[in-house]
Amino acid sequence: MQDLIAAQTINLIYAVTLLAVLSLGLAVIFGLLGVLNLAHGEFIMLGAYCAVVVRQNGWPFLTAIPLAILVCGSIGYVIEVLIMRRLYRRTFDTLVATWGLSLLLRKSAEAVFGLTYRSVETPLPGTIDVFGVPYPAYRLAVIGLGATAIFVLAIWYGNSRTGLRIRAMTGNPELAQSLGLSVKRLAAGTFVTGTCLAALSGVMIAPLVPVFPYMGLDYVLRTFFVIVVGGLGSVIGLVYGALAIGGLDSAVSAFSNGTYGYLSVIVLAIAFLWLRPRGIHVRG
Amino acid sequence: MRKPMVPTRRQFLGYSSSALVGLAAFPSSRAKADAAEFKVGMFLPQGGPASIFLAGGRACAELAVDEVNAGGGISGRKVRLVFADGGVAPAEAAKSAIRLILDERVEIITGSHDGGVREALVSAIKGKVPYVFSPVTENGNCSANTYYLGETAQQQNEIIFDALVKPRNLKSFYLVGNDYSWPRAVNENSKKFIAESGGKIVGEEYVPFGTPNRFEEIVTRIKSVNPDVILITLVGGDNVTFNRTFGAFGTDGRILRVGYLLEEQTLAGIGADGSRNLFSALGYFSTAPGGAGDQFKQAFSAKFGETSPQLFAQVGTIGVDSYAAVHFARALIAKAGSTKARDCMAASEGLSFTTATGPAVMMHRYVNRTMYLAECKGTTFSVVATKEGVRNESSCKT
Amino acid sequence: MSAAKAGIMVVLAVPFAFGEYALYQMSLYFLYAVAAVGVGLCWGQVGVLPLGHALFFGIAAYLAGFVLIAGDNAPWLLLLLPLAALVAGIIAFAIGILVFRRVGESGPYFSMITLALSLLAFQVTTNWASLTGGFDGLKDIPSLPGLDSTMANYAASAAALVAVLAGGHWLMASPLGVLWRAIAQNERRVALFGFNTNLLKAVAFGISGLFAGIGGTIYASQQGFVTPQVVGFGLSAELVIWAAVGGRGSLVGPVIGTLLIGTLTSELRDTFRFWEVLTAVSFIVVVLFFPSGLVGLMDPVVRWLDGKPKVRDDIEAPVSVRNGAPPRRLKIDQVTVRAGEVLILDRLNLDLGSKGISCIIGPNGAGKTSTFNVVSGEMRASQGVVTYGDLVLTRMAAHRIAATAGIGRKLQFPSVFPDLSIAENLAIALWSGRASASDLLRPWVRRWTSPLLRQLRLRYAFLSSGARKASELSHGERQILELSMAILTEPRILLLDEPCAGLSPDETSTVIDVIRWASEATGCAVVIIEHDMSLVLKLADAVYVLHNGTLLARGSVKEIQANEDVRSIYAGNRK
Repeated sequence: MQDLIAAQTINLIYAVTLLAVLSLGLAVIFGLLGVLNLAHGEFIMLGAYCAVVVRQNGWPFLTAIPLAILVCGSIGYVIEVLIMRRLYRRTFDTLVATWGLSLLLRKSAEAVFGLTYRSVETPLPGTIDVFGVPYPAYRLAVIGLGATAIFVLAIWYGNSRTGLRIRAMTGNPELAQSLGLSVKRLAAGTFVTGTCLAALSGVMIAPLVPVFPYMGLDYVLRTFFVIVVGGLGSVIGLVYGALAIGGLDSAVSAFSNGTYGYLSVIVLAIAFLWLRPRGIHVRG
Repeated sequence: MRKPMVPTRRQFLGYSSSALVGLAAFPSSRAKADAAEFKVGMFLPQGGPASIFLAGGRACAELAVDEVNAGGGISGRKVRLVFADGGVAPAEAAKSAIRLILDERVEIITGSHDGGVREALVSAIKGKVPYVFSPVTENGNCSANTYYLGETAQQQNEIIFDALVKPRNLKSFYLVGNDYSWPRAVNENSKKFIAESGGKIVGEEYVPFGTPNRFEEIVTRIKSVNPDVILITLVGGDNVTFNRTFGAFGTDGRILRVGYLLEEQTLAGIGADGSRNLFSALGYFSTAPGGAGDQFKQAFSAKFGETSPQLFAQVGTIGVDSYAAVHFARALIAKAGSTKARDCMAASEGLSFTTATGPAVMMHRYVNRTMYLAECKGTTFSVVATKEGVRNESSCKT
Repeated sequence: MSAAKAGIMVVLAVPFAFGEYALYQMSLYFLYAVAAVGVGLCWGQVGVLPLGHALFFGIAAYLAGFVLIAGDNAPWLLLLLPLAALVAGIIAFAIGILVFRRVGESGPYFSMITLALSLLAFQVTTNWASLTGGFDGLKDIPSLPGLDSTMANYAASAAALVAVLAGGHWLMASPLGVLWRAIAQNERRVALFGFNTNLLKAVAFGISGLFAGIGGTIYASQQGFVTPQVVGFGLSAELVIWAAVGGRGSLVGPVIGTLLIGTLTSELRDTFRFWEVLTAVSFIVVVLFFPSGLVGLMDPVVRWLDGKPKVRDDIEAPVSVRNGAPPRRLKIDQVTVRAGEVLILDRLNLDLGSKGISCIIGPNGAGKTSTFNVVSGEMRASQGVVTYGDLVLTRMAAHRIAATAGIGRKLQFPSVFPDLSIAENLAIALWSGRASASDLLRPWVRRWTSPLLRQLRLRYAFLSSGARKASELSHGERQILELSMAILTEPRILLLDEPCAGLSPDETSTVIDVIRWASEATGCAVVIIEHDMSLVLKLADAVYVLHNGTLLARGSVKEIQANEDVRSIYAGNRK
């Protein structure tokens, strides 16, 4: 019984970290640009395909990282310039546009890679004992790397000059412009950062799930719930959100069943949207 | 001053309504009923997650059409397939069925898709043409004028329990599936077999259908319960994720797993990482030995040439069901002599038709067939048991 | 209504012009269109986007399915069928009330709640198989007696669509529709006129739920089966996209979007594997280049078909409930307001009396506008009370303060409804305190006028060009329009926040005249925040000086001018 609780606890930590990392890209774009990017899942999907391509060619797994940044960064940039740039502050229109975008990316992936499940071999096979519980090595790596990445991002956003500029821009675009900050460039940079983060999380989950063009659909809503529950505009909020959503899902799934886990996540999200729309952690 | 050539509003309304009424004089232009052709309407998922089965299913169906046409077609007419999207919401599929019947004048409809669409099609077709539901199915559906070609849970369980559970003396069972009708119906059937074999169920759980699921918690729980065998009625991506997770947790040393919808594409997704001690019981595996399967494979290669290995890898039991559906259509119409519901219902009883694994016989609108049990070796199936003439338990009226 | 006639003719012609399949397809899409009209009504009129609207379509469809199945044995049960749609509408209204009261905002959060509810409903209907038939759905639903042929179904769907369009047209033409559009532009301003905006939004959402429910009810009978997809995200998203592409701003936009995109996809999806690429590109193009949807392109045609609107005579409005009631004493007692660490009002005591014209002056950040905000109920005091006569205002909602206490307000920045016409702007003010709930459904109430309005029109000619949009007005005209609106409500206390800011000297002097005249004509007390001392000199019977959130001094203009404290803070301010 103790082993079971220990193992389920690690599962919970893993679920929370994974969800936080998957949400990063969406959080950056929604929190800073106010755009709810419905194509977020498709960027995760493209990232996962980068891992597939790398493995197919026999390259080391980690080479998928620069590839994903290159591919999704440039796609993100083109989309920002051609579409998103004209739509900032038109919240509902961005919904429709990014919805169209998600269809487009999905179908493009289908045209390029075909409609089959691909699997990516785990780069770290085997299990490692944690507190006497054997746990898959790659998942432990996900916990470690994910937590580090979020920590670093939190520090950077809080202290760096770019972080300051981004906060200035989202706080007051006109003022930022008058202070000589290039809002256009910052917005493009932010959007591209968001797509790259999504792609990197896609690389990360590639060895865990079936990779196929429709996989992205799965991630948009859950990651959106994370942001809503956590609160916009801060890394700490994101972590709280992942804790609440991932933790609840994992705990209910562990001690009841998956269906109730999913239902409780939706109910929690509704409760937050209704009663506390600014989330757990309010910026400022 | 001359009046401009713009009609007044009243004139415009008059013109436009008379133009519309004028159109009425022409019959619908889309109905191109060609007496020389026998059209088969075929629903395959062309969008959505299930569309991974599209390419294989289409290829199989086209192969069957070639064979049927080479043998003189249906009622002496050349067969032509008219495809419709089966990966849509039920109401859309129902609408497509109406289009196939009214505009395309198809004379039989076949489909490989989910149960929601199936019920919608039954309701839309209303017996105007015969309807063939070809993929894996639960027992117990008996909609009028509908023919079920897929493996039933009963047939799957017969070989699973005869060839795996009893010989290996497996006693404790864990049931995990997606939360919708098919898995629950399969598990109902499995419970009968478990009780008969003296086994016990140590866990049964369902995860939501149509959303992403993680399986770490479930795998951990299963591991702590330590059953002899897991009966898996997860489908598609969830089936892949569960088995990959199971593999990653290093639990595949002792516990056996049996998938009820584990075919070539799903196994490719699971990969070698997660497929140790994993079994599947279906009516078709590309690697099954024996004459008929090889004949099918040769015919497939002959038709698709260069692209055939790649395409053939996408063909599993979902895929060859469309092959069987076309052959079934030929046999049914040939025997009934018409496409009338009553004639076809009567003709279907005891009807023998070609499938990818040789001839099969329909009884009570379900199929008696050869079943295989396969063990996963890396990303290929190795057939470990074959059972011929497995009867279905249907009691549908004909 | 000629464009409407043209539309009806098209609907009547379809059965003759096209085959049975087109008829079948149209009868399904008409039902979706009915629901899409609901989405368009909410989104285009009130600015609230329902992302999970299939929920109401589906709830009604399931309910209707149960009724139809039960009705096979007990035909009298069929009489309950309309309840299916009604229940969907009531649920929508209840959700609206609960959410709007809590969140107030109608932005993406509301949308996401509706989306999450639709996801929840999908899972529940899939899993609760004993009731709903689970994933395979509720099947073998008998059709309504008489509705068993394609033609009859087409007629039923077409009738539903026409009825919903007519109903929607009525609503849009009624004062309620004007208020909805006003809410979409400036919800705060509507509340300050005394309208319960949360209720109005919930009504809109309820009606759009009812529309979806009508579609769902007929759907159950027409299709003969109901599956979880009808409550789910897929259909919800499609409804939104149809409304967006067709044009959410008008009633027919969503209908055109549904019919066009719907038929296009169903034509393509069976034959062209990458059809989604086409639809995806079309969404993006429409959003980027035709934000008002396809129907925006047809505007000129519709206008041409409809011809010139008829001008009708004004109707005398009923007398305001506030007319002639003497103003009572407005008193602010020990009120403290904080924003985080900052004290905005610090135990402020202000007895504004009940007559004449008072001015509040003070340096920037003294808390002048905040004082108004506390009085009109937009800012919550952490302690202290505001009373009007014996009425305690402190815990009342802004719209109730405006309606029951009769406290009118003009905001600091001219705050009119830019996309409404001048006549509509003025009408909203006239309805305040005059229109009953049923008046809001009477289109002719839009032609109300009052003696005050006639006099204002004499003073300001531009108020008579009613068809012009408020956004076309100059800054000064907008100031005057808003002032006129505030006066037309015949408030007992009129709070004016820098009414002359940005006006030319000429305009300023007419505004001063109008304020004096209004105060005498309606007998209201006026409180003005003003920076310009020359104005204060001309207007004020009493002057209050605020500094750092407290009252520094009060008295006549002369007394204040002589006050050393006041001199020193103004001098300090100038450094």
